[in-house]
Amino acid sequence: MARVELKNINKIYDKKVTAISDANIVIEDQEFAILVGPSGCGKSTLLRMIAGLESITSGDLLIDGVRVNDLAPKDRDIAMVFQNYALYPHMTVFDNMAFGLKLRKTPKKEIKERVHHAAEILGLTDLLKRRPKAMSGGQRQRVAIGRAIVRQPKVFLFDEPLSNLDAKLRVQMRTEIKRLHKQLETTIIYVTHDQTEAMTMGNKIIVLDKGLIQQIDSPMRLYNFPANQFVAGFIGSPNMNFIEGKIEKGNRILFKSPDITFSIPENLETLASNFLNQEIILGFRPESIYDQNNENVAWLTEKVKIEIDVIEPIGAETFIYFQANGNDICMRTTSNKEYYTGQSIHIGFDTTRLYFFDKKTGSILR
Amino acid sequence: MKKGLSDRQKQTRSGYLFLIFPIIIFGIFTIFPMFFALFISFYDWNLLIPDKPFVGLANYIELFQDEVFLIATKNTIIYALGVVPVQTILSLFLAFLMNQKLPGRGFFRLAFYLPAVTASVVTSTIFIWIYSKPGLLNYLLSLAGINGTDWLTNPNTALLSIMALNVWSTSGYFMITFLAGLQNIPASVYEAAKIDGASAWTQFWKITFPLVRPVTYFVVVLSLIGCFQVFDQVFIMSQGGPVNSTTTMSFFVYINSFKYFRLGYGAASAIILAMIIYFVTVVQKRYFPPEPY
Amino acid sequence: MKKIRLSKIFFWLLLVGMTFIYMGPFLFSLSISLNAEQDVFQWPIKLIPQKWTFKNYIQIWEDLPFGRWLTNSLIISIIQTISNVFFSSLAGFAFARLRFPGRNFFFSLFMASLMIPGIILLIPKFIVLNEFHLINTYSGIILPGLVSVVNIFLMKQFFETIPKALEEAALIDGCSYFKIYWKIFLPISKPALAAVAIYTFQGSWNEFMWTVIVTTTSDMFTLPVGMNFLKNEFLVNWPLLMAGTILISLPTLVIFIVFQRYFVQGVGTSGLKE
Repeated sequence: MARVELKNINKIYDKKVTAISDANIVIEDQEFAILVGPSGCGKSTLLRMIAGLESITSGDLLIDGVRVNDLAPKDRDIAMVFQNYALYPHMTVFDNMAFGLKLRKTPKKEIKERVHHAAEILGLTDLLKRRPKAMSGGQRQRVAIGRAIVRQPKVFLFDEPLSNLDAKLRVQMRTEIKRLHKQLETTIIYVTHDQTEAMTMGNKIIVLDKGLIQQIDSPMRLYNFPANQFVAGFIGSPNMNFIEGKIEKGNRILFKSPDITFSIPENLETLASNFLNQEIILGFRPESIYDQNNENVAWLTEKVKIEIDVIEPIGAETFIYFQANGNDICMRTTSNKEYYTGQSIHIGFDTTRLYFFDKKTGSILR
Repeated sequence: MKKGLSDRQKQTRSGYLFLIFPIIIFGIFTIFPMFFALFISFYDWNLLIPDKPFVGLANYIELFQDEVFLIATKNTIIYALGVVPVQTILSLFLAFLMNQKLPGRGFFRLAFYLPAVTASVVTSTIFIWIYSKPGLLNYLLSLAGINGTDWLTNPNTALLSIMALNVWSTSGYFMITFLAGLQNIPASVYEAAKIDGASAWTQFWKITFPLVRPVTYFVVVLSLIGCFQVFDQVFIMSQGGPVNSTTTMSFFVYINSFKYFRLGYGAASAIILAMIIYFVTVVQKRYFPPEPY
Repeated sequence: MKKIRLSKIFFWLLLVGMTFIYMGPFLFSLSISLNAEQDVFQWPIKLIPQKWTFKNYIQIWEDLPFGRWLTNSLIISIIQTISNVFFSSLAGFAFARLRFPGRNFFFSLFMASLMIPGIILLIPKFIVLNEFHLINTYSGIILPGLVSVVNIFLMKQFFETIPKALEEAALIDGCSYFKIYWKIFLPISKPALAAVAIYTFQGSWNEFMWTVIVTTTSDMFTLPVGMNFLKNEFLVNWPLLMAGTILISLPTLVIFIVFQRYFVQGVGTSGLKE
């Protein structure tokens, strides 16, 4: 029931340090929006501005078309789940959840109903009389979510809620929060530094770096069509590989670099010819590299010889690392072939999955 | 640019509301008196005489010609120089013993801390009895074949006796302070030293002592400030006597202000005392800083 | 290993010896207070009385205004303790958690005042109270000790250890700043509040110099000042005096034993940090 809109939002600390510059975001009703980026990118600041915990230097923040810049947090009809849960240690689970409602003078009977309902959804019914100290991290996290649910807010804000949990629990809570989103049918804005969390949970991802919005898109579009080198490198695990090189004209148009040189495939020739004799950055994902001797794939570039440096067999797949122009390049293969260190193989790149980036600005060349 | 101001205003309003009472009390009973003390030290301010003429530096000049004041200053300095080192070393030593994790620690802690939480009037009264001619101290000395004196009425021993009482009564408090500092030193540091072959003695001097230096600084400052202002024990036990041998600066301030009602004169002596305390702490900070590394 | 054991035994014996030095005077005064004989100046001294009596503890209530002094002491200590706990924590909260112009100024001012020796404030405080005709009144004794900078500092330090998110969660839940203080910070700060209460009560209960100066008649005396008065009047009656010292010490002794952990751990650790 809520549409959140950020218009030209800026955050400048002490008139000097710019934390967020010119953020424009629209989050539709019932969307699961993720703010993602490395630490210090401004994602938490942005969330805290939406919550009202941080003032907005300039720009407009609208919730359902109403400007809420000057409203106190409690009047914005939002609820927030904190990284370290921020449960009131002296209150029971019930009181933790009921606290906000009590302050709003909700009738006692209704408080009870709402808390019990939320407890049921989250499987906390048996724990209502406990105090936070006597609970596990996962249970505390649920209470924190429960505290948000009972308020029935327009917007849920999550500030890295899973980062204090161990890996296994994190995966479990991920699905649980997703399910909850479906059940509650509300807008969620979720901050994380973990790109896997972002990809798996959100349906709109806002990638931030150094206070600037890099790209806003769906998970798959972010992966397949990154707007710039930062997004390309940030989204996906292992990271996209980058190598610097030059576009040159031989018989055909060439990508030329000390260790890796190949003819630009036909589908990219027109694009590449715009950058003749210019330095560019070539990007390709680990899974877009194939072993030419072993795998038969139709749309590969011509052969490039490399020497295997490190092998990491995972089981279903194998990561192969080699050096190119002084960079570690990662290749991922699903073949069952046994490789060995020092082995020379011929690789080829998936011609449909090559990205060119401007060396100076980092933006994608299209 | 009005954004967020509402919260700022709320914080400002709450902040001042929360502080208003302390600020008033503090203003009336600390800030104002500080300046007022300086002010009246330039006046012949007698509580009983309505006319309070400005006398300039006359009070200060008189102080430096007042033999009792000079004696009080000398006594106070002797007192501080005697008590502070002994008290600091003793409390560090006690803390070191306490930190050995020996059985009965809770009880020992209680025993050492007891004098520190007891009213000065209580400890002083008990010690008047202990120090008296037929008192406990002389009894114990007689067991060792030593003939004691009447400690508090003998001008040679009166000040020393009060100093000993001070060491006894406050070392427990500083022991707790040191103990907290000692417990902050991670066990791994000692383990590393043991592996390096350091003896207990070396460990104490090369590890414990340097690492509790900030605590030592704190203890010495507090101890110094306390000693320079010693009053209760003198007032209760000796009233400055015999023949001014235990008159300290605080007691001098009291006598002149509230016995002779010469408040201006008393204030002037208090200000000199404050200046000495300030000077000593500055010197300490300059030459024995809490963390020299 | 044997060597270490030996040194431990030596340390332990040293501790026992020191305990006698620190506890002895109290045990000794207890012994005198229970002595039935008026003349305790016997030689050699008897450390344990031959005839026991509690009459000194009764006489002190009957013949002297001990009850009145006790009442005065209680009124003064309790008011100062409550006031300190409330106002120091409130001010500590403001300094630790609120941002407002002048915060740093006032905090530095408060802290700087710790450097001022109390002795120079004595005379002006007396003159101020004299102007308001508060000498020899409860107000005169109590007012200057209603808040203390040390307590404010302790509470500020403690509040700073509480995670910021807790306050923000409360803000989103709809708390005003006072409610954050009252409903969240106070309930989770019991150890620090207890420490402030204990220290204040103890200091207030034992306060001597200021009370000597502002009280002029014996009906306004507190126990310590009354005790001193008693000492001057009845210097010969040691058993009675010692009974008084024991009675005065009892409350602080009990508080110390019961709340020992608050004294020792002081402030700094809380149930919050895990």
